[in-house]
Amino acid sequence: MLNYIWAGLIVTSFVFALGYDVRDLSHDRYRNGKPLPVVLAFPEGYESAARRVPVEIRIEPRQFAEFYGTDQPPAASYPGYLLQTQEGTQLRFQAGAKLPEPLATIGKVSHSRDDELQGRLAGFSPPLAGQGTDTLVAASGVVFEPVWFVKLNAIGAAALDFAKTAAEIALGLIGVLSLFLGLLKIAEDAGIIYALVKVVRPVLRPLFPEVPPDHPALGMIALNLTANIFGLGNAATPFGIKAMEELQKLNPSEDTATNSMVMLLAINTASVQIVPPVLLLALLGMEINRLIFPILITTALALIVAIVAVRLLGRLPGYRASDPNLNPSAPAAAPSA
Amino acid sequence: MDTARNAINLLSYFIIPVMLVGFPLYGLYKRVPVYESFVEGGKEGFQVAVRIIPYLVAILFAIAMFRASGAMEALTRALDPVLSLIGFPAELLPMAIIRSLSGSGSAALVADMIKQYGEDSIYVKMAAVMFGSSETTFYVIAVYFGAISIRKTRHAVPAGLISDASAMLLAVWTVRLLFG
Repeated sequence: MLNYIWAGLIVTSFVFALGYDVRDLSHDRYRNGKPLPVVLAFPEGYESAARRVPVEIRIEPRQFAEFYGTDQPPAASYPGYLLQTQEGTQLRFQAGAKLPEPLATIGKVSHSRDDELQGRLAGFSPPLAGQGTDTLVAASGVVFEPVWFVKLNAIGAAALDFAKTAAEIALGLIGVLSLFLGLLKIAEDAGIIYALVKVVRPVLRPLFPEVPPDHPALGMIALNLTANIFGLGNAATPFGIKAMEELQKLNPSEDTATNSMVMLLAINTASVQIVPPVLLLALLGMEINRLIFPILITTALALIVAIVAVRLLGRLPGYRASDPNLNPSAPAAAPSA
Repeated sequence: MDTARNAINLLSYFIIPVMLVGFPLYGLYKRVPVYESFVEGGKEGFQVAVRIIPYLVAILFAIAMFRASGAMEALTRALDPVLSLIGFPAELLPMAIIRSLSGSGSAALVADMIKQYGEDSIYVKMAAVMFGSSETTFYVIAVYFGAISIRKTRHAVPAGLISDASAMLLAVWTVRLLFG
């Protein structure tokens, strides 16, 4: 089951990413290779010999909207600079500028350092010196780097990024995990489980009517539940298995579960716990303080639902027919899972 | 409701301190070599952390891809009308699905949500309550029935799933009620 869900996640991601990318390509969302009209202002003057000239990039909102077919307006102007390179004059937006879509995406996949949005200037004629104004202005167009398969790249990057994060999270948990596993070990060695068994046992009686009052199965079930209550998963499982073995001794059938077994499982899966799972403690730290009560409320209610569900489902004709205690020669009609 | 909230808030200051002090005290009372027991149990911390790495990687990277591809957004949008009827946030859907199947996987999802939404977001609280209030039903069934070779499990799976589903819903409602 988990196999299919997991593989499904991965395959769906691929299909969706590819779908979005193909749609973007067919709509030419990023206008690959076409120049976006911009107006460049040179607050510090223009020097054609300089390798790097600071500019103010102004994008006309209407032209922008028309060019990209979007309604996200650009800001009045963006700081940036001109860079003379072997391929010609390049326009770069300063890193960290708040860009509208799709410029933000183009900037993210750009190959420059610091994810600066960069593009080649087209139709740029340097402003003439001595125009008489403080700032020189020149109209131009900028052709951004072509953008292909953004989403496909993004899912790859996300996978690598989160694989690294996963290991960091896990290693970061070592200390707190040790702390709580140590504390729980003290509780286990101190026999905290046995302190509550006397309380739990009488409560269990009505839930397991098929079990004779003095049968050892009840004791094991009580131990299993108490270990669960204290979050002692390692101790709970052996008791649970022992309880199952005892219940099996009372079972007239070899391979069919009795109502008591189903009840024990349901109570276990509802997992009544005072001490939350150690992993959760480690992940949340002090924040767990505030969550204990919601967890207790939820788990108590879920336990009630589980018990009621077992009882009601057990009355359905199909499950009654497969009850080994009612029909010792259990028919094969039992639904198996 | 407010008094209840306040009382719970006050009480919650005591949970971790009581665990930190209470267990060793109880151990002393029962004449357990507390320090040695603590160290013995603490040794497992490293193994547990290392053991969950592959699970964390498997779930985190798959979910990250799912989100990055835009599929999560599409799923959320598609299911929103249905889920909002029962007041269930679509962000918690992965958790609700994985919880009964894999314990480490759902821990990974809690970790992922802490990274996505921040530690005190309401989604993280809901996910944490889901994690804490139910069990890995399929694993429990496999272990317990496997141990005594029961093959016809009868209503164990439906009952377990009903209880899980109710735990998921109740977790959302309880957190809303207390923190919403």
